[in-house]
Amino acid sequence: MLKIQGLKAEIEGKEILKGINLEIKAGEVHAIMGPNGSGKSTLASILAGREIFNVTAGKVEFKDKNLFDLSPEERSREGLFLAFQYPVEIPGVSITNFMRAALDEHRIHKGQKPMTATGFLKFMKEKKELVEMDTKLEGRAVNEGFSGGEKKKNEIFQMAMLEPDLSILDETDSGLDIDALKVVADGVNKLKTKNNASIVITHYQRLLDYIVPDVVHVLYDGKIVKTGGRELALELEKYGYDKIKKEYEN
Amino acid sequence: MIDTDIKKNEIVNLFSKNTDYLISDNEAIELKKFIEKTKLPDSKTEEWKNTSIETLLRHKYKIGNKSVVPDEYINTFSFYGLDTDRIVFVNGFFSPENSTVNQNKGKIIIGSVKEAKKNNFKIFEEYFNKTNLYKNNFFSAINTSFSQDGAFIFVPDNIVFEKPVHIVNFINGNENKVIVQSRNLIIVGKNSQIKIISTYHSISSDFTLNNVGTEIIAKEDSNLEFYIFEGEGNEASHINNTFVHQYKGSRLKTNTATLCGSLVRNELYIDFKDEYCEADLQGIYLPDKEQHIDNFVNIIHSKPHCTSKQLYKGIIDNKAKAVFTGKVFVAPDAQKTNASQSNNNLLLTDNAKVYSRPQLEIYADDVSCAHGSTTGQLDREALFYLKSRGIPEKRAKTMLMTAFVEDVLNKIEIKPYRDYVNYLVNKRLKGQKVEGLCSVKICPNC
Ligand SMILES: Nc1ncnc2c1ncn2[C@@H]1O[C@H](COP(=O)(O)OP(=O)(O)OP(=O)(O)O)[C@@H](O)[C@H]1O
Ligand SMILES: [Mg+2]
Repeated sequence: MLKIQGLKAEIEGKEILKGINLEIKAGEVHAIMGPNGSGKSTLASILAGREIFNVTAGKVEFKDKNLFDLSPEERSREGLFLAFQYPVEIPGVSITNFMRAALDEHRIHKGQKPMTATGFLKFMKEKKELVEMDTKLEGRAVNEGFSGGEKKKNEIFQMAMLEPDLSILDETDSGLDIDALKVVADGVNKLKTKNNASIVITHYQRLLDYIVPDVVHVLYDGKIVKTGGRELALELEKYGYDKIKKEYEN
Repeated sequence: MIDTDIKKNEIVNLFSKNTDYLISDNEAIELKKFIEKTKLPDSKTEEWKNTSIETLLRHKYKIGNKSVVPDEYINTFSFYGLDTDRIVFVNGFFSPENSTVNQNKGKIIIGSVKEAKKNNFKIFEEYFNKTNLYKNNFFSAINTSFSQDGAFIFVPDNIVFEKPVHIVNFINGNENKVIVQSRNLIIVGKNSQIKIISTYHSISSDFTLNNVGTEIIAKEDSNLEFYIFEGEGNEASHINNTFVHQYKGSRLKTNTATLCGSLVRNELYIDFKDEYCEADLQGIYLPDKEQHIDNFVNIIHSKPHCTSKQLYKGIIDNKAKAVFTGKVFVAPDAQKTNASQSNNNLLLTDNAKVYSRPQLEIYADDVSCAHGSTTGQLDREALFYLKSRGIPEKRAKTMLMTAFVEDVLNKIEIKPYRDYVNYLVNKRLKGQKVEGLCSVKICPNC
């Protein structure tokens, strides 16, 4: 599904990613943990195609294609999805129009006809129910005036709408209350199949009780410094990053 | 460099052959003196310092002729079949063949100023040329002096219009460079209500100059919605001076949409003659290429307890320029004035320019006045967010631009008209050619 080799990236001359290697296969869930500022969101943004970062080395294959040959919109249509850590508010653009446009583009890409207006609304309703999104979306602008939790749920809702092959959830659990956390995790689990994969970026092992990862990575100072199973997350929760940092610095 | 004095005389002389003008001979003599001493605005004229009229001075104009247009042209602007009364003007001359008025028959007068002068002289005399429009600038002066016709709407007291009235203005150069001067007069009686849509179109893409003057009298407790749609060709210059007198408790709403035109200058004067008036003024402008669109708003709060709101938004592309000046004058005894002003601009390129000038002159102390002006570019983060969901760059940009002007368009209260403007704005933002935008016969260089 995704193969990252020796990925280095910088912004404004400052190196943020210092050689990332990561391989994810269909059906897998990988968790990425790591202290603040270690480069987790940078990695996610680069995968989604954010131009502000400068890739200086390495390559990324996504479904056997060179990811860097694809524009952000093509990546999305090819099945990559990023749930943003900080979803942006877009006043004046209604969620319905936004999702309609996105879905149309995805369908055209797959050689399908755009949905009818009623078909679309029905589809949207189903997906809303699937992710237990109870915010009334009709007539609302994208993320405008949404609470922190609602914004996160809205990301999962969009993910449900677009049915990606690879989803990257960047701290989707931050700012969620326990019930919302369960709802979001449930949504992710319902969308999981043996053909898709996820990267879950989180600070809390709690999320991983609900979304059970196959592999856990620790990203520190722009590198993956440790990889293990679920137990690694528990260990981190208990002892923090100190031990890993020390190991790494030696 | 163009010699502006020669140019001025050339324009004035064009009209001196004719005599059939709306103003009286006495007024004409007065105005002649004023015109003689008034210079064409140039970069030294404070109120025009960001707007050069050189583009319109480059041409030698003829006076536009009276003509009739095929009904199918007019039907392009039927706003999805919206039922309106409609009066049509071609090159500033009333075209009764194209016009239909059915509402409030016998109770109101809708038609041409020229006819009103002939058939309803008392009313004409009472209201015509009673504002300061004539001495606002050179253009308003020659409009007053040399106008032969225009729209006349007289609504007596206590009349409610169910259907809007549509004033359709065509400019038809017919391969010539023409100058057109229409003069409109609108009187809304006490307690009366009316919605007016005034639209401007070119039939072909010629170099034309449309110099419009409009006087509006809104009497006690009247309610007027006045929509202006400017969609003349991209070679067309358009100067529009509108003067409004509002009386006690009257409510006015205007919405000026400028989608095309080479050089456009809209001046809107609101004079609150009495207390408790409200004016809600909006505008949207979308200059592209080397177009220049200037909106100049001047609100005179001479009496207490009046409210004025301004919301003007523009998207400026390529090397285009936009100017917004919002003047608010609050007289010493205009206490409890409530004035707000907001001007927001989106620049699409590094060469696009905007000059935004709020000018507040406040001499009363118990007032609430707020103003804000922003100029920025498309939000990169929002753009990336949309793209990251599969929406291509161009479509994403259009979505953001549409969103930017949405609140101004949403304030248009006649839904079919709003939908139509929305449709054309969308076409315009996508860079698509469409009938009715820029010219009826689609111009190749739109
Ligand atoms: N647009 C930017 N301009 C300059 N520096 C940036 C930018 N974006 C990220 N950085 C820097 O890159 C580093 C990594 O940031 P990143 O957001 O990837 O961290 P993170 O691991 O996601 O942290 P957190 O857990 O706090 O979300 C930080 O030092 C940050 O300041
Ligand atoms: Mg982050």
